[in-house]
Amino acid sequence: MTRIITVAKREYLETVKSKVFILNLVLTPLLVVGGIFLSTRMTQKTMEGPRPVKVIAVTDLTGQAIPELLRLSQEYNKFNPQREILLTLSTEGDASHTQELKDKVQRGELAAFLLISKDALGSGKGKSYCYVKALGMTDMDLYSTVQRMINDAIVTTRFRQKNLPPELYAELHRYVPFEQVDLGAKPQEKRDPLAMLMAPFFFLFLMFTGIIAVNQQIMTSVIEEKNSRVMEVILSAVSPFQLMSGKILGLAGAGLTLVFFWGVTAYGAAAYRGMTAVVTVANLTYFVLYYILGFLLISSILAAIGSVCNTMKEAQSMMMPVMIIFILPMFMWFYIAQHPQAPLSIALSFIPPITPMIMILRIASNPEIPFIQILASFLVLGASVPAVMWASAKVFRTGILMYGKPPSLRELLRWLRYS
Amino acid sequence: MDALVLDQVTKAFGALRAVDDLSARVPSGSIYGFLGPNGAGKTTTLRMIMNIIAPDSGRIGVLGKTPLDQAKERIGYMPEERGLYRKMTVRSVLSYLGAIKGMKRAALSRAISDWLDTVGLADWANRKVEELSKGMQQKLQFVATVISDPEILILDEPFSGLDPINLDLLKGIMLRMRDAGKTVIFSTHMMEQAERLCDLILLVNRGRKVFEGALEEIQSRFVANAVEAELEGDTAFLSELPVVKSVTRNGRRMEISLADGADSQELLRALVGRVRVRAFEVKVPSLHEIFVRLVGGVDGTPAASPVL
Repeated sequence: MTRIITVAKREYLETVKSKVFILNLVLTPLLVVGGIFLSTRMTQKTMEGPRPVKVIAVTDLTGQAIPELLRLSQEYNKFNPQREILLTLSTEGDASHTQELKDKVQRGELAAFLLISKDALGSGKGKSYCYVKALGMTDMDLYSTVQRMINDAIVTTRFRQKNLPPELYAELHRYVPFEQVDLGAKPQEKRDPLAMLMAPFFFLFLMFTGIIAVNQQIMTSVIEEKNSRVMEVILSAVSPFQLMSGKILGLAGAGLTLVFFWGVTAYGAAAYRGMTAVVTVANLTYFVLYYILGFLLISSILAAIGSVCNTMKEAQSMMMPVMIIFILPMFMWFYIAQHPQAPLSIALSFIPPITPMIMILRIASNPEIPFIQILASFLVLGASVPAVMWASAKVFRTGILMYGKPPSLRELLRWLRYS
Repeated sequence: MDALVLDQVTKAFGALRAVDDLSARVPSGSIYGFLGPNGAGKTTTLRMIMNIIAPDSGRIGVLGKTPLDQAKERIGYMPEERGLYRKMTVRSVLSYLGAIKGMKRAALSRAISDWLDTVGLADWANRKVEELSKGMQQKLQFVATVISDPEILILDEPFSGLDPINLDLLKGIMLRMRDAGKTVIFSTHMMEQAERLCDLILLVNRGRKVFEGALEEIQSRFVANAVEAELEGDTAFLSELPVVKSVTRNGRRMEISLADGADSQELLRALVGRVRVRAFEVKVPSLHEIFVRLVGGVDGTPAASPVL
């Protein structure tokens, strides 16, 4: 046991002192925070910043909405002088006119061409069209503004037709604002809906990166020991099992250090924005437990892969299938966070390599996950982690002394049978 | 107590019998040479002793009844292919390698300082291994092997790649260890070095033992059958002598090959009085010659019978 600790200590220190680790430690939070900050700023700018004048042609086949459209667009432009929308209005419905306007859109002379159907004022059954050129209307704000404008124009025109003043519409049309109050939250906590949405992702991201970032190191370390031939000297003092365990332990320590540091930083940032409600003691405990188990699983596999390869390139190509499975939760996070109790989410919770990540995602999205499922997931891990470690240890002990072509899958299976 | 006992150890890799029914005894406090051509099974045997690979059958006993994994702490092993952690500092490499052998921090620290002074690497203690020259790295490798003050040193082809200075350094270390009562086991195919150092040798070929015992013993089994002489006078009669098989002249020196069973002293008696004898050397066969004769040909097929 002391041997394992000795190996672990060296592995930990060498990892933590390496430039890569320190860079990762410091840069990743900076990049993530910076990225979020930048993207929100940029979205804000597109939503609210100045924009060149957009010219939109509107053909109103009802023939009656024009006055309202004009009024509304002038009002909009008064309040948004930096983001003006110019409407060129007509009631000409003939085909050649329509085609000319469509061509103008094609040529980029018009941002869009809206064709309001004849019975828009009435039953509204006829189709209205918005002609754009592929990227023309990707400005979401523009699109929604114009849509709103036209709808308001139609409605206020209807008001006029019933001899009601159009201003009444604005008055009657006011929405009732609702504030979301979470009964499960403690009274002084405010549950920021944005935080509720992003928190599961942060948990997932922390776990995923925390495991991946450090585990590259285990393969590098094993391959380096093989290549520098120091492996035999080490093996003259410790057994392959002790070596592998020590490495995994040391790296787990480095991983926890990383996750801890990032976690604290994230918590600090969240506290600054008042979003800390999602971080409960239960969540944290689960996180640590799942992290450790997930880490052990992946690092055993990677240690085994490192032991049979002679270069990083070989190792990385062997690693591919594992990584593909492992990265799955990152693609599916939104669905799972939104539907933590869906059959798919539940099913995915029991695939050992991704169990920790799926479960932490679900737990962070919905604290009411039935305990039996959590227990079951731990059982699955409890069975699979030792099995994988056992298999990896066997591969490791044979692989580290082999130089030459990495073995095929069949050969690997044969190793598992011999001691 | 014997430092090491091999009892009918066998190891096969597929169809190849790398080590075949090998038995040997290494007494404590000796320098024991493990000799043989490439592919004889030396490295495989040493790895089995170090418990890096396991024998198929047979028994290996290190330091009496000590279980192998405990015994590892008391053995210093230097493999044939050498290497150290390139990116670690000299001091931290030695600390780590000492620690995994079970050394405690204080003793380790002292040992490191002492050894670094002995080999002249004290100024490099905090530099990375990759910054050292090849010769320095070799010296560091020796130190790494002996840092834990092992009772047994096992060295696999220790002399390969060493320049004369490091060669002498290593030999000095080996002799010093032996004089301090430790056991040194090393494998080599450089017979001259073995000749000068070994108390006992084990000669193997193709996994099987060919000879085990003291150097003198093996030398005595090969009868001295040549004499190198420098004679003054008329030496034409030499080829006629019954004790002489053949004469090869080399300027003033001549190599006289004796007839089977002939005694060199007879030749000497025959020469004295008839010619002036300026030099007369009974050629004891070198280990190199014995080795070649026993193990012979290109693929290690023996020229003589396999077991003496």
